[in-house]
Amino acid sequence: MILKTRAIKDHKLQLGGIPTEKVAVPDFLFLATNNARCAAAEVTIPVGAHVNLGEPIGIRHAAYFDQPIHATASGTFVGLEKHYHRSGKIVDFIKIQNDFKDTLDPSIHDRTDAEIAQLTRADMAEILKEDSLVGLGGSSFPTYVKFQTSRPIKTILLNGIECEPFITADQRLLLEDPADLIAGIKLLQQAFSCRDARICVKAKHRDIFALYAKVLAAYPNSGITIVPVGNFYPQGWEIAMIKSATGISVPVGHLPSEYGIANFNVSTAAGVYLAVKHRMPVYERYVSVCGDGIVSPKNFSVRVGTPVKFLIDRCGGYKNPEIPKVFILGGPMMGASLPSDDCILTKTVTSVIVMNERTYSEEPCIRCGSCVLSCPVGIQPVQIMNAMRQTPVDKDKVKALNPLLCIECGLCTYCCTSMIPLLEYVRRAKIVAKLP
Amino acid sequence: MEIIKEASPHIRRRDSLNRMMVDLLIGLSPVLVFAFAVYQLAAVRNLFVSVGAMVAAEFVYVLIVNRLPKDGKKHSLGEKLRYGASHYRLSNFLVPTVSGLLYGLITPACFASVWTGSYWAVANPYNPLTDGYAYFVLIAGALFGLVVGKLVFGGTGHNIFNPAAAGFIFAKECFGSRYRVANYFDVYFNNITDVQTGGTFLNGSYSASASYSNYSLLDLLLGRTPGLMGEVCKVAILIGLAYLLIRHTIDWRITLSFLGTFVFLMFFAGLVVNSKDASIGVFPFVGYQLLSGGVLFGAVYMITDPVTSPMTSPSRVLYGTIIASSTVLIRLLGRSDYVKEGMCFSILLGNMVSPALDYYKWSTSKFTVKNLIPMVVIPLVALAVILWALGVSLPIVSSGSGSSSAGGSSASGSTSSGTDASAGGTTKAVIAGLPFLRGWL
Repeated sequence: MILKTRAIKDHKLQLGGIPTEKVAVPDFLFLATNNARCAAAEVTIPVGAHVNLGEPIGIRHAAYFDQPIHATASGTFVGLEKHYHRSGKIVDFIKIQNDFKDTLDPSIHDRTDAEIAQLTRADMAEILKEDSLVGLGGSSFPTYVKFQTSRPIKTILLNGIECEPFITADQRLLLEDPADLIAGIKLLQQAFSCRDARICVKAKHRDIFALYAKVLAAYPNSGITIVPVGNFYPQGWEIAMIKSATGISVPVGHLPSEYGIANFNVSTAAGVYLAVKHRMPVYERYVSVCGDGIVSPKNFSVRVGTPVKFLIDRCGGYKNPEIPKVFILGGPMMGASLPSDDCILTKTVTSVIVMNERTYSEEPCIRCGSCVLSCPVGIQPVQIMNAMRQTPVDKDKVKALNPLLCIECGLCTYCCTSMIPLLEYVRRAKIVAKLP
Repeated sequence: MEIIKEASPHIRRRDSLNRMMVDLLIGLSPVLVFAFAVYQLAAVRNLFVSVGAMVAAEFVYVLIVNRLPKDGKKHSLGEKLRYGASHYRLSNFLVPTVSGLLYGLITPACFASVWTGSYWAVANPYNPLTDGYAYFVLIAGALFGLVVGKLVFGGTGHNIFNPAAAGFIFAKECFGSRYRVANYFDVYFNNITDVQTGGTFLNGSYSASASYSNYSLLDLLLGRTPGLMGEVCKVAILIGLAYLLIRHTIDWRITLSFLGTFVFLMFFAGLVVNSKDASIGVFPFVGYQLLSGGVLFGAVYMITDPVTSPMTSPSRVLYGTIIASSTVLIRLLGRSDYVKEGMCFSILLGNMVSPALDYYKWSTSKFTVKNLIPMVVIPLVALAVILWALGVSLPIVSSGSGSSSAGGSSASGSTSSGTDASAGGTTKAVIAGLPFLRGWL
């Protein structure tokens, strides 16, 4: 097909209509020490110590920030154990034996409304830093950094788009937890002294628009609106979202704040409320478990640190275990495939997808140009592939084709008529282009 | 249970090269049905031979490029052949099948087995029903098209030229006198076996009933004219176009920019012709140009071949305008009988420039002011040349010698009688210059 890909078919695996199931907290919880953004970490409590829910038990060190690790259940620190992290690496996890009491840490008590009214942007940045809130849509970018900007913000955008197929975590949050979300948005409005806050949701989610017509009527003059945006992929990419919701084109490589825009995921906004009002770090999140390798796909509200196997058992296990599976954390377009199901849910895992393995027979490129038509940043993946296939690789040519603009959305591989993994070539080209 | 690690993305569009080729076959089916219905065994013969030759050539190519790796042991011939054949895939069959059908459809229903004289003067009588048939012309064209047009460049996806167009040009240039479109048509449609008067329609000795000017636009649309098998029935081609567009098998940008530029240039040429001779309407002029010869067949099935066309949208639009400008120039200004139709040479010209359009320093995937410039300038230059040439030198046709031998009806008239001389000699002359029924060249 010579066709630009807009919407990605869900293959009838969408779970949006299934209510969230709150699962029990498992016997053991695991908290990652280092992660993709933080190379080093230390645990500040001795083995065998008792921990409370929300208690800081370690620190992750990154290049320019430190991030406390909080316990997500009360119990006993058993020791370190190696598991797969969502980044695909094996890292040390802090193992906590759950005592099922959920004793709150003494530091966790609500702020009064009067206290909250006093908070400035800098205060909130400090609070979010202590509670180690990160972008919960999957980016894991520390949220407080966005609060440190001194630029004036005219519009706050709340990303509830979830443009990748199969994922429904944010959709369920929007449907089931509007109060926390709106409280979080109000705090964001206060922090950025900005009235205009827009929740961006795909136009096809009529149930969400119907619900928010009622919910927002209870907050007259709050400045919060819900705007329908396109149903296409990658609408959730911040530049595409800003373009659809406000009409402003942010060039690739510039920060949205330069254009007076602050954007947050809806889960992050709910996390802001949790941190500011309750002094509580994110300890629970919405996760969808789906794919054609799962017996009964479900949406879950789970404790951070739950092993994925625990959830898969709640879904009835694997379907057709004789077929090899692909095990994905995140969406099917950009998510990481892990070599084992022995992994742990972190704050930023939006979904677990188990798919039966599909093999594609690669054919020669017939230059149909679908990848060029589909590319959201306007580069030419097929030309990059041809440049990378040359021996020796012409570095100037690769650089001239701008592979560094690539956001790795995966559309080029997705739409290839000849089933060529174009994104792999572009990834290699990015490495070549970075060479001096 | 086994867990496989793979790179993202983990899902693919439901699509494949084979699907695209099957879609092309379905898109060709209206034309094939027409060819089989009208030309019957001749169509079966031409298509079977050309597809067979191309598929066989591709199979041999697969055996040649997939040789057993040298491991010091002796292998029997059967072993070697089996190793090569194990690399033969469905696409190795479907792609040359499509090429073979395209090539077969732009052959005339018969190739004369005897030398029938020069292209414009029939020397020997030839009756396609009783005289022999020159298979070697068909096979030579098919093999040249696939081997030189595609396989020497590295097979599917690597070719510069459209195999069908390359094969056609080869056969036509080498064995042009054996293309006997008229005879076959006369025999089957008009029940004329007076093949002494065969040959081309544009010259003196044609029979009145076979004169092109006896065909209305409706005849051209429905395919009630002589011509190459696939390209005569425009309705069938349009049905195929609709299917291919619905299935996104071809890029509408190429077809649209080609047809748009073609109509634009022909419209202004028609204005000039009309100002010189008021009996030729502008719109009939454009209509005849659009519906005659291989313009529509080429615009739907040939220039849209993704392998030989550029890859980005602006380049594709430019590609269409280049081919259209070239076709119009050749059609209106070509002095030689051989290049009058122009479509096939224009396709090869477009194929030649398409790598340049894809040059990485020039091609962009978005339309910019800079890449709009050639899209506007090239048709305008062609227009200036056409206006100048037509304005300075009417009659634009080189075959005036034969134009007075028989009367013709007006360009847009529906007619059954060739003796109606109401339109007069000038109409005849101008229309005669247009390569309506001549096939591709």
